[in-house]
Amino acid sequence: MNFISPSRPKPGIANSILSCLNKDSTRGVVIQAATLGLVLATLLYLFSNSAQNLDQLGLSFGFDFLQTTAGFDISWSLIAYDPSMSYWRVFLVGIVNTLFLSFCVIVFGTIIGTIVGILRLSPNPLVSQLARCYVEVVRNVPLLIQIIFWFTTVFSALPPPRSGYGFAGLIFLNNRGFYMPSAVTDMSGWLIAAGSLMLLGTLWFLLRGIRRQQRQSGSVRPSYRIAFAIWGIVLCGMALIVGSSLHWSVPALQGFNLEGGMFLPSAFGAAFIAMAVYRSAAIAETVRAGMESISKGQHEAAATIGFSRFQTLRLILIPQAIRAIIPPLANSWLVATKDSSLAVAIGFPELVSVFMQTSVNQTGRAIEIIAMVMGFYIVVSLIISYLLNKYNAHVQFKAR
Amino acid sequence: MSEQDLKHFVPTPPRLPARNEQNLRHRIQKQCFNNIGNSLLTISVLVLIYYVAKSFLDWAVFNAVWDAATRRECLDISPDGACWAGVIDWFNGLIYGRYPDEEQWRVNSGVVMALLWLLPLMSQRIAYRNSILISWITLYPFLGAYMFLGGTFGQDVGIIHMVFTSLAAGYFILLYLNWVLCAAGQSSLPEMVTPLTSKLFRRGQHMTGFLLVWGFLSILCGVVLAQMHLEPVPVDHWGGLFLTLIIASFAITMSIPVGILLALGRRSKLPVIHWLSMMLIELVRAVPLITVLFMAVTLLPIFLPSGAEPDKLSQVLFAVCLFAGAYMAENIRGGLQAIPDGQYEAAQTLGLGYWLTMGLIILPQAMRLMIPNIMTSFISMLKDTTLVSIIGLFDIMLMARNISNDKNWIGLHTEPLALISILFFVMCYGMSQYSLNLEKRLKAHRS
Repeated sequence: MNFISPSRPKPGIANSILSCLNKDSTRGVVIQAATLGLVLATLLYLFSNSAQNLDQLGLSFGFDFLQTTAGFDISWSLIAYDPSMSYWRVFLVGIVNTLFLSFCVIVFGTIIGTIVGILRLSPNPLVSQLARCYVEVVRNVPLLIQIIFWFTTVFSALPPPRSGYGFAGLIFLNNRGFYMPSAVTDMSGWLIAAGSLMLLGTLWFLLRGIRRQQRQSGSVRPSYRIAFAIWGIVLCGMALIVGSSLHWSVPALQGFNLEGGMFLPSAFGAAFIAMAVYRSAAIAETVRAGMESISKGQHEAAATIGFSRFQTLRLILIPQAIRAIIPPLANSWLVATKDSSLAVAIGFPELVSVFMQTSVNQTGRAIEIIAMVMGFYIVVSLIISYLLNKYNAHVQFKAR
Repeated sequence: MSEQDLKHFVPTPPRLPARNEQNLRHRIQKQCFNNIGNSLLTISVLVLIYYVAKSFLDWAVFNAVWDAATRRECLDISPDGACWAGVIDWFNGLIYGRYPDEEQWRVNSGVVMALLWLLPLMSQRIAYRNSILISWITLYPFLGAYMFLGGTFGQDVGIIHMVFTSLAAGYFILLYLNWVLCAAGQSSLPEMVTPLTSKLFRRGQHMTGFLLVWGFLSILCGVVLAQMHLEPVPVDHWGGLFLTLIIASFAITMSIPVGILLALGRRSKLPVIHWLSMMLIELVRAVPLITVLFMAVTLLPIFLPSGAEPDKLSQVLFAVCLFAGAYMAENIRGGLQAIPDGQYEAAQTLGLGYWLTMGLIILPQAMRLMIPNIMTSFISMLKDTTLVSIIGLFDIMLMARNISNDKNWIGLHTEPLALISILFFVMCYGMSQYSLNLEKRLKAHRS
């Protein structure tokens, strides 16, 4: 009679086991347990192998090597380093060099990229096509080739120090690198850093206060002006104190090399230019996409009010486009930090080069060192994505 | 005047198009020379283009040396021109690395075979497109490895490798026999033997027919191949563009299955699988490729039992596969998230299980949505293969750098780099234009 009623399974021990096995929840537990077991077994197998292999090589596992003397020289370092320092110091040197290179790349890459991205939208077809050619050529040639190109055919082809280029006797460029005057002071760097940090902090605090007041009352209380004046006086005073103890160290030719001043090796120059150019192409595309995401009505409305092209860009387009641009831009910065590791190919002493190559060869502590280097990159990426999330929450269109 | 005439609609003739607005001269005037600033900009861009193009062409073409024995000779002939003679001298090395000259036909025929295998996919009328693709991914690597590595059946080629190589060769021949037969209007080979098999088997006659023909051809191929002897070429002699393409195509093909598995794992409701996939994806994506490569090269020998140390190429392939898979997983996850819940519910209503839902309903749609991103990933994988030169594999990048160490061509850096830059540019730009084209076609198809 009722043809479609499911035939109920007869109660029985076999059937109840079957239906229990067929339940989604049981299956989930079994699958998860199996996966976990498999992963754990693989890890255990790998670690037992590694213990055996390390035993055979006479090595042990541990981070005690960080305290031992490194004993090798690093060609260039932003913080003080000499071969008698420990491997921990080598790690720090690598991190600082990596961060310095990435920072320079990010700043210049973003500036060039923004300009090229805006040129790409120029109403002049010649300009926009030129910008497009730049982006396409730079984007479609691997970064490593570009780095090596800049290093071997541009920077290494420069004349030696004795006949290098000099500008006004202050800045020098030769096949070893780039020399420029640097300010040397007898005061401790920490003191100056703390002072500048304090000044910047107060400035930010003042500006925030003024902004809030402007919003609430439409005018600024005179007390803020006085505060500003005091701030300026303190700034001048500090500049005077620091300036009086300051003297310039100018690079000068001594023997076959230049001494004194600040020195950037040619490997840095090549890596920096190649990476900044490469990054600028990616950022240009991001900026263009962000700008094109704004509807045409906004352009027309701006034109109706009588805004010039520059005003339209500054007041209408960029503030709106920035919401679409910032997330991919931050991602691009993260990629720039990761890409800075390619400088290892031309011997720039960044983290991978000094720690993952030289230190692994010297100590044989591959597991620990690779974990530390990867840990550093993971921390950087976590910080950038945390800041990005904060920013995103901040600039989201707020429903009022 | 009849009613007919009144009702007859006489359109006023359309206005002529404003011709001044349309012609080229007017457009140039309006876009490039509409005011002084823009005119100056246009002129300076033209001057810039002229100087860049002129100096490049002078260097690369007009002052270039095409025939010389050493770099010194090049410089004597033309000091400020490109010395293409060195690149021509090393061209074989750039393409094949240190692969022996007399065995290079194997590389050529292996690559041609790979392309021929995929050629039927270009035709819209071919049946079983998926099976061709799957066979390419699963079977071709064995045939390719046999062609490239060489060896004799039963001696340096293991039994499993032997069997799969024969199966691959058999499949390849069957594919083309069928194609030729179909083009000639005949029925395909499996269909020809179906009358025989239908007497033996009641069910699945087509399948058994296919299997019979395939098996027969494979045994035939195995017998033929067993008579052949290919000179063994170890992996460390591979190099040049050949090695670059092997690594890139391996990364591209393996990234899809690995990416699908990781993406499904990350979307899974089972917490253990979700967390494991997520950790793997995020860990790999947070670190640069070069550290993953270093990890594979230094840690794999430590983690694997002593004696079972894989060669460098396998280590690199493992690393690249992991890296590409993690990036692909995020692309596919993006596609999965864009599929509305209704699709899952509809599939459930039809009574499909998890794998059928994913395989038949969700993934095909998700992959199609993500084609532009997937193509972008492919391009960056191709570009990233140059990194293997840092850990000492002789890919095209390292071969190009090595030319400057040759005693005849000391210091010849620019020309090889220029050549491989152009090569990569052509490959990557071609891929990106193809992806744009595909995107446009799919958009037109959907709307």
